[in-house]
Amino acid sequence: MTEERHHPRDHRIDGPTDVGGHEVRTEATTLPVLPGDVHAYDTQGTSSRTLWGDAWRRLRRNKLAVVSIVWIIMIVIMTVTADVWVVPLFGDPLAVNTTPGSNLQSPSLEHPFGTDKLGRDVFSRVVYGARVSLTVGVLAVSISLLIGLVLGALSGYRGGLTDTFVMRTADVFFAFPYILFAISLIAVLGPSYRNVFIAIGILGWPSIARVFRSSILSIKENEYIDAARAMGASDFRIMFRHVMPNAVAPIIVYGTMSIGGAIITEAALSFLGMGVQPPTPSWGLMLSDAKSLMFVAPWLTIWPGFAILTTVLAFVLLGDGFRDALDVKMKD
Amino acid sequence: MPPLLEVKNLATQFTTRDGIVKAVDGVTFTLEAGETLGVVGESGSGKSVTALSIMRLLQEPQGKIVSGEVLFKGEDIVKMNDSQVRSLRGDRIAMIFQDPMTSLNPVYRIDRQIGESLILHKGMSKKEAFERTVELLELVGIPHPRDRARDYPHQFSGGMRQRAMIAMALACDPDILIADEPTTALDVTIQAQILELMMEMQQRTGAAIIMITHDLGVVADMADDVMVMYAGKQVEYGSADEVFYNPRHPYTWGLLASLPRHDVDEKTCLNPIAGQPPSLINVPPGCAFHPRCTYARPECRVQTPRLLNVGGGHLVACPYSSEESPEACGVLPRGAGAQ
Amino acid sequence: MLKYVVRRILQMIPVFIGVTLILFVLRAPGVLPGDPVRMITGERGISDALRDQIIQKHGLDQPLVTQYRLYVQNLLQGDLGESYQRGRPVTDILADKLPNTIRLALVAIVIEAMIGVGAGIISAVKQYSFSDVLVTLSTSVLVSVPVFWLGMLFQIFFGIKLKEWTNGAIYLPISGMSSAQFPDWAHMILPAITLASVSTAYVARIMRSQMLEAGGQDYIRTAEAKGLTRRAVILRHQMKNALIPVVTFIGIDFGVMMGGAILTETVFSWPGVGREIFLAVGQRDWPIVMGGVIIIVFLVMIINLLVDLSYAWLDPRIRYGGAAK
Repeated sequence: MTEERHHPRDHRIDGPTDVGGHEVRTEATTLPVLPGDVHAYDTQGTSSRTLWGDAWRRLRRNKLAVVSIVWIIMIVIMTVTADVWVVPLFGDPLAVNTTPGSNLQSPSLEHPFGTDKLGRDVFSRVVYGARVSLTVGVLAVSISLLIGLVLGALSGYRGGLTDTFVMRTADVFFAFPYILFAISLIAVLGPSYRNVFIAIGILGWPSIARVFRSSILSIKENEYIDAARAMGASDFRIMFRHVMPNAVAPIIVYGTMSIGGAIITEAALSFLGMGVQPPTPSWGLMLSDAKSLMFVAPWLTIWPGFAILTTVLAFVLLGDGFRDALDVKMKD
Repeated sequence: MPPLLEVKNLATQFTTRDGIVKAVDGVTFTLEAGETLGVVGESGSGKSVTALSIMRLLQEPQGKIVSGEVLFKGEDIVKMNDSQVRSLRGDRIAMIFQDPMTSLNPVYRIDRQIGESLILHKGMSKKEAFERTVELLELVGIPHPRDRARDYPHQFSGGMRQRAMIAMALACDPDILIADEPTTALDVTIQAQILELMMEMQQRTGAAIIMITHDLGVVADMADDVMVMYAGKQVEYGSADEVFYNPRHPYTWGLLASLPRHDVDEKTCLNPIAGQPPSLINVPPGCAFHPRCTYARPECRVQTPRLLNVGGGHLVACPYSSEESPEACGVLPRGAGAQ
Repeated sequence: MLKYVVRRILQMIPVFIGVTLILFVLRAPGVLPGDPVRMITGERGISDALRDQIIQKHGLDQPLVTQYRLYVQNLLQGDLGESYQRGRPVTDILADKLPNTIRLALVAIVIEAMIGVGAGIISAVKQYSFSDVLVTLSTSVLVSVPVFWLGMLFQIFFGIKLKEWTNGAIYLPISGMSSAQFPDWAHMILPAITLASVSTAYVARIMRSQMLEAGGQDYIRTAEAKGLTRRAVILRHQMKNALIPVVTFIGIDFGVMMGGAILTETVFSWPGVGREIFLAVGQRDWPIVMGGVIIIVFLVMIINLLVDLSYAWLDPRIRYGGAAK
């Protein structure tokens, strides 16, 4: 019986062979691919080319970030549709109920979070309170972004006197403890819903400007900017095509986390009476009421604060997730 | 008497997210007192990891010595416990690193850093350690050593810092000094001074030196024996004369051929080795060098070459090289060209 | 080092001026919506004669530059105006509240430093272990917690519930600075912990990342190569380098803490400047509000300057600055 033996030469592929079966070599060859050779594909089996594609994939893998996104979307949906489902089920957040004994009820099936001192259902107030918090958060950060990005870009790209002036102004803003500055600003403008997000927005620009400016500065130094310029690209084109995409990443991270910060600040201001005014439901305001009723109705403290915690935490974790996903240096 | 250092089949691996990195895959050599071993190779060839493995300085648990022996005066370092290894480090085996600026702690004075090993290993008091430090600094050529000893690292120049590092390494009079690219971060003029200093110190103390470098010129100057590494594997090992004048591995041929030569018209193109060093996670099957080897045969893809003794302790990891000719790739003809 | 010190002080001056400018702008007529007289007197109705007097005294009908000059002059003399609602100068009202705030802040800083640094070191040394995960997660959580809510929860738990469950045997005071049942220091416990909580999270985070960064440095490898024990390497080499930025952070955090103080003092009824500001807000007594803000702002600026300077002393690269010889 003849055995089949595999000689190494039998594993040859296309390529000219001489009589002896040796492949004919040309200069500096790389050997042809054998089946079973291992190639360096990434773990998904696809080679990802773009920064954003990569980042998105990494983000999806980050469980905490995914949970955060889901939570935020849930809150948004819950609060946007609140008129539809909260009011019929639990009651109007603004509906004062003067029937004796209907106020300060502890949690029950009808009022899962209880009722407050004016007989209003706490659960529906918490849900509606999300509107205030989210709106203030987003609007305030938008204002900060608007001012901060412009000033940061000017500062970073122009340099020189503009830079010094902008950064010194930022330093002055930084010298004030945040909440105190907000309080003073609102003291002058008058406490109201609108003034809250204006004040938070105005106070937020220095951090954003600083972050953006340092991104721009470090990118400006990079050689590929010189290369682009050497190719004849205009300043504007350079800004847009090269500087911006890289500078945007830290802004996304910082902006997301700022929304969380803005929500807490709004709550703090409302707690102190410098924010949203009653009867608009705001989590901070609800906590302020709860404070004076602590001995009588401790449950009033729990839910508004918990709402703040989970909402802000979602934004913070999401920001963290963005940072991990977009940080090129950590790419393995 | 057992040799000072005997490394047998050392293999070190790192576990990373992307796979297992075979940083060192089978290294064998012997070192006696007063000798200098030059370890050459490209970045990523495993030279530094070999040194770190000898001193058990790997980051655990990612880095591990998976097999082999490192016999220091007959005792296996691989099998020692932490406390035994620590007593060797700095005292019997010392190491200096590539970048003296970052290798010295910026917040402590020089005398404190040099004195640290003296106090730890020799039981000296702070005063005794200081005096010895001043002596050492003088020995390595630092002017006004008594004053300079109280300086911080950032107050020294690059060359001086490296001298200080050498002083620190030699403080306890070690048997072996491992130098990992000690001159790479320095100016060319300072490089020569530092190398001279090291040789002088070796004369004086009788220590053995393991010199890790990618610069063949440095090796030619100093080494008694040479070990060439590629992709974590040892491809050639022998006396310096043998390796330089009778190289037997295609990679060594490539290295020597790629050196710029002063006896040739400057318009002649340089001869780099084509291709890139492989990833240590996906080492090519068979002989690691085969994708870039001008002389590769089909067998090279399949068989992992063992180190063969081609005479007098000269080891080569290529079974076919004697059939090929080094002159074909432009390397120095046999026996030609002295310093 | 002298160069560094001088440079930092010089840099402070424009910031100082800027701060006074902003404070002035907040009050000045025409720049922001609002009546400057109201800012000076509060919301109480005042007679026309008083109104004229005030306009005279603060030069409100003068050009802005003059007003600014008067304002700064007053500030430098320590005149923060007068609370017309209470009929006393602001400085008087706030002067004896300030030490209470500072005391609380100091205790909070000690807590924050000890726990934060310790947690940071442990979590960096035992990376990926349970304690590391705990620290990393809890810092994210603590950063998201509204400080005042945390305080209220402490009050409910330690003050009310604990008392209920142990029938009045064990509990902590939750308001005020002193009382019959408790020694004074017991009153500080809950407010100080609350005040320190968020900052502790930050300190732990920063200490951890500084330790990790220091751990990756070459000099750590050198230290190990010399045969030092792991503990010696961590404590002597890694920690000292990591601590420097952390110490300066703690100093700067003082400013943030001052902002948080107003919330904590309000929750715990701690008689400090923060609480005064809060009460004044309720009364719309703006002079006290602005006065309190001014005091705290300047305190923070001075502390920041001191912290900056201490950094120069701690880091030998700056202290013995100077190029290689």
